Amino acid sequence: MSTTVTDATVPPLAPTTASSTLRVVRASRLPNWLTPILAAAGLGLLAFLPAFAPQSETALFVNVFVLLTMALMWNLLAGYAGMVSIGQQAFVGLGAYGVLIFAKSGMEPVASLPLAAIAAAIIALPVSLLVFRLRGGYFAIATWVVADLAMQVIDSISAVGGGTGENVPGLSSLSPAAFGRVTYFAALAVVALALAASYGLLRSRLGLVLAAVRDDEVGARSAGARVMRARRIVFVVAALGCGAAGALLAVSQLQVQPASVFNVQWSAEMIFATLIGGIGTLEGPILGTVIFFVLQQNLANDGAWYLIIFGSLAVLIAIWAPKGIFGLIDRRFAISLFPLGHRVEHLSRPASAPPAPVAANPTSSRGGAVGAAGPPA
Amino acid sequence: MPPLLHLQDLSKRFGQVVIADGLNLEVEPGAAVGIVGPNGAGKTSLFGLISGDLRPDHGAVRFGGRTINRLDGAARCRAGIGRTYQVPRPFEGLTVFENVLLAAQQGAGAKKNASYALAGQALFRARLSAEANRSAASLGLLQRKRLEVARALASRPRLLLLDEVAGGLTDPEVRELVEIVRAANADGVAIVWIEHVVRALMATVDRLVCLAGGRFIADGTPTDVLASPAVREVYLGTAMDLEVPA
Repeated sequence: MSTTVTDATVPPLAPTTASSTLRVVRASRLPNWLTPILAAAGLGLLAFLPAFAPQSETALFVNVFVLLTMALMWNLLAGYAGMVSIGQQAFVGLGAYGVLIFAKSGMEPVASLPLAAIAAAIIALPVSLLVFRLRGGYFAIATWVVADLAMQVIDSISAVGGGTGENVPGLSSLSPAAFGRVTYFAALAVVALALAASYGLLRSRLGLVLAAVRDDEVGARSAGARVMRARRIVFVVAALGCGAAGALLAVSQLQVQPASVFNVQWSAEMIFATLIGGIGTLEGPILGTVIFFVLQQNLANDGAWYLIIFGSLAVLIAIWAPKGIFGLIDRRFAISLFPLGHRVEHLSRPASAPPAPVAANPTSSRGGAVGAAGPPA
Repeated sequence: MPPLLHLQDLSKRFGQVVIADGLNLEVEPGAAVGIVGPNGAGKTSLFGLISGDLRPDHGAVRFGGRTINRLDGAARCRAGIGRTYQVPRPFEGLTVFENVLLAAQQGAGAKKNASYALAGQALFRARLSAEANRSAASLGLLQRKRLEVARALASRPRLLLLDEVAGGLTDPEVRELVEIVRAANADGVAIVWIEHVVRALMATVDRLVCLAGGRFIADGTPTDVLASPAVREVYLGTAMDLEVPA
């Protein structure tokens, strides 16, 4: 930044009325209206998809929405709150079994979806007390242990089918077309909420806490940030999202089985999608999920090559593009659809003060705050 | 009226190293106290004990009449203890404004526009208004030190702990920093300032304590403390400039 505004032009310290001279905007280089318009257009387009796409297509989109929901949650955990969990399948499985249990007690499976997600979130609270005693790699392993434990417990309960699982009752009466539509719109609603919740959370005061903790935890504490509380909220929200994703699996597959819904593969896929797309951004998991499914659709017939190519891609990205593919795009074009940063504009300044210099600021990771401010009046 | 900060028989040791040995100290609301002492005297550790980064083995930290031993650093900040670190700890992924905004929102509990105003005011007081939108990673040493002060001020402290904020700065920079600290003190914020740059302290504080070997060995007016034989002795042979400026 230019230093045209020197300290000499700052008036001597005096009681300030900073609120009258200061405006804070949340924006990136892109115009403010772009994100809501794009979001509405995307949602509108996807809402009309079942009207002209065959059911096999909408079923694929259900899987895309499920993985994107999971990836968004894992991104919150690892990309923003610094918690690398490899046990999110615990909450996927609990969400799925929540639907089964509610459906068996006579509830409409789709209606039970929010309840199943909330149940997963409630269970996450005591789990957090346990796993939060550990950090880094130990935390990661602990989450996996918890997931395995949850599977073993469900496995041993014969009332929900034990190791072989059970079919979800209550949806078989629907025609295939109606069933396809119901699951599609349920999945679309979940993923839209997951994206909106992630964005809202990161733009909130909690989001600023997470960003500060990521840079310097001691400094954040000394500024009054309740670090544990912030982490716990994210952990519970991630369990809620993964629980909803698991509940969607139960609804769309019409059956749940412990070895399938508690499979560590879910964590592997959400991590893959997040890392490939770009961890620590909201665009990243979206891009990563799309890439994951494009690859999967084109390589699924090639047997083992499918996994070899996935693994190689993950390694290449981790080495040469640690911020993922969106990171490369953002570095080149500095576009962020989900601006999280704060930009200060001083509305009035003394007539004697020089005009504020304007300089791009590519170094802020929170949406690229742009421009410089003059001294307040 | 109870003292703002009251240390009662505070002790802390790391293995064989005693960093606080039965410390007693009272700081009145709005006071300005300087702390000097040789390297390794336990000055920064004392701040750790007050701000909650360290837990005492024995004794009590009382703030505003309340024992705060069990509060962690964040809770103590919220209670009104702001601190700076000797090596600044900026959030480098954030802008200068966002660095300060965090303290306004978390430390002072301000919301939305109130937090923006508070952060803007803290930046103004620390003379960082012009840098509001810069990335904190791009700041030089002086500005990083000011950012520490701004962040502490934005938490709306009743007590401000300054840990060598003048270290490494040029004379004009030190003078500016002194003005910032004096202005905060004039607004009623009590200051406890650890500093090797004695002339910065002399211009700011009306009381000086000397810490050596985890004990307070002198407490009084700056002139008296610097002239005291006990203080002269612990500094003997060091390059410290203890001359009282004319």
